[in-house]
Amino acid sequence: MIKTAYKFLKYDKPKTIGVIIGIVICTFLIGQQVGILTFLTRLMGGLIDNSDTDTAQIWIVDKITINVNELARLDESLVREVRSVEGVKNSYPVIVAGAIATFSSGKTVPVTLIGSEPPHFSAGPNTGKIAEGKLSDLVLEYSISADYYDASTFSNTTDLGTELELNGKRAFIRLQTIDARGFGGSYIYTTVTKARFYANYPQDKVNAINVSIKDGYTPEEVCNSINKTFPSVRAWVTNDLKKSTIRFVVSSSNIGTSIGSLVIFAIISGFFIIGLTLYSAAIDRIRDYGTLKAIGATNQYITKLILIQSFISASTGFLLAWMLLEGFRSGVAKGGLIFSLSPALLVGLFLITLIISGGSAVFFSIRTLKNVEPASVFRN
Amino acid sequence: MNKEHFCESCIAALENTSKIYKTGDTSVTALQPSTVMLKPNELTLIIGPSGSGKTTLLSLLGCVIYPTTGDIWVNGNHVNLLNEVELANLRLRNIGFVFQSFNLIAPLNAIENVIMPLRLLRLPESKAREKALEALEKVNMTDKQKNLPRELSGGQQQRIAIARALVTEPSLILCDEPTAALDTKSVSIVMQELKSLVSVGKSIAVVTHDNRLKQFADRILYVNNGFVSDTPPEEEIFT
Ligand SMILES: Nc1ncnc2c1ncn2[C@@H]1O[C@H](COP(=O)(O)OP(=O)(O)OP(=O)(O)O)[C@@H](O)[C@H]1O
Ligand SMILES: [Mg+2]
Repeated sequence: MIKTAYKFLKYDKPKTIGVIIGIVICTFLIGQQVGILTFLTRLMGGLIDNSDTDTAQIWIVDKITINVNELARLDESLVREVRSVEGVKNSYPVIVAGAIATFSSGKTVPVTLIGSEPPHFSAGPNTGKIAEGKLSDLVLEYSISADYYDASTFSNTTDLGTELELNGKRAFIRLQTIDARGFGGSYIYTTVTKARFYANYPQDKVNAINVSIKDGYTPEEVCNSINKTFPSVRAWVTNDLKKSTIRFVVSSSNIGTSIGSLVIFAIISGFFIIGLTLYSAAIDRIRDYGTLKAIGATNQYITKLILIQSFISASTGFLLAWMLLEGFRSGVAKGGLIFSLSPALLVGLFLITLIISGGSAVFFSIRTLKNVEPASVFRN
Repeated sequence: MNKEHFCESCIAALENTSKIYKTGDTSVTALQPSTVMLKPNELTLIIGPSGSGKTTLLSLLGCVIYPTTGDIWVNGNHVNLLNEVELANLRLRNIGFVFQSFNLIAPLNAIENVIMPLRLLRLPESKAREKALEALEKVNMTDKQKNLPRELSGGQQQRIAIARALVTEPSLILCDEPTAALDTKSVSIVMQELKSLVSVGKSIAVVTHDNRLKQFADRILYVNNGFVSDTPPEEEIFT
């Protein structure tokens, strides 16, 4: 039956091409939007993604925030106090503060300074995010990091040795990160001391405390203990804070709604474009389907024949869309918009493609062809 | 309801069968209650003016429509009792169709058209191909087996259609105006082919307007205004 389905498709080339183009456009749009959304959500949780998961198993932040990008200040003394909680192995202060970077060209850019303590640098960058230089070089005087992909934002290279000013104080890039970025800001990593120095940040405050835990304890247990002992702050398992952050930013920024509606519109328009083209192809061949029925084909056979045709078109369209998406992905990756066409994304896209084309085939053509009477072939 | 078989020796039989088409509040009696028996080794010609009910009669015999009243029997099956899937199966196994406008499946080439009913019967592909070739041989069309229908003349298409109708070895072959679109030479080729099938035990019914076909008939049924009869209506006796 696959061969017969293929012959039907081949015979109606213009319509088949129309269906496949519809599938390609629709699948590409959905893949592109979802790809961008995964990139953006990764940026939203960037602060956490860039951190060192061995030393930042728990984040202690202020009571109110559910978004790691909006941190209030905590008392510095808490850093030592939490070490007394059962299960806590060590705790590390984190400072997140805004600053203005000025480059030799005179260009000024707002940046986010993230300070944590050597040698672990619990708030990051983690080793996977380092492009050039050694993490330990951040300890040097005036030493900070900058990201490879921020070169265009800064209109300046972020190569090692680059000199710039942070809030008017001189600094040198001694570590180049790659893709260690956040949502709506360039991240500059350094030590707690230097972050305080550049941002004029009070000595007795921190923004967050990272906690590592002892063997034999789960992060959840330790979080509970911390929350019981210090009701004025809130401890989060790292991944929970990331999820909460993404949920919050996606819903409050309308990114979810706008990308979601784009995807839904792509699905709806794909459904109708593909469906109506399939419908008109089925109408063109209605006589053939009627003849098949007259000589003894059942509705089940006709349904299968149509579904196989839609499966072939969907698979072809999907493969073409995948190639286009791969082109899009590698094109925008050069500019730093990085997302991966993960197997989950591809499988999901393929399923959506199948559902759209199969669904529209059922909705538009199969319904019509089921009602074709075998007796109709006697009427010319 | 199990009913006594009406005509054991018939391949197909209508017993007091009528057909009324209802569209909206108008209804057309296309076939008055009629009794028709089609037996093996017979080529039955069905003749009548346009709109008289010939196609309706053929559709009833062909199990593509249900009767309004009366009973239909095909190869021992009481058609009234079968559902649509069972009817499709009955058509597939027992009846071959030949249509006025050939009705070959346009995207499929000649041999694939002939194979189609065998595929529906789930015959293994190689066996099906072998049988299809045999059928094409019978109608002298093996050299055109790879051609699409649009690449064939009307007569050639109709011969392919006949090959498709006989490939499943049905006992009943129903033809609705099989020669209407053909020239005189093709008419006689097509009719010779149908005639040769009768001699191997099949029953063939041919609806036609075409008086040239009378010479091939073993028996003629006249349809007039929905009435079926073995004798021609009066005006025709004198012509
Ligand atoms: N599906 C249908 N719905 C309603 N009326 C129908 C239908 N099929 C046929 N009829 C009517 O039934 C009558 C008999 O039609 P039928 O097609 O059997 O005639 P016919 O003898 O085959 O005519 P022709 O020689 O023109 O093919 C006609 O009046 C026709 O209009
Ligand atoms: Mg007719």
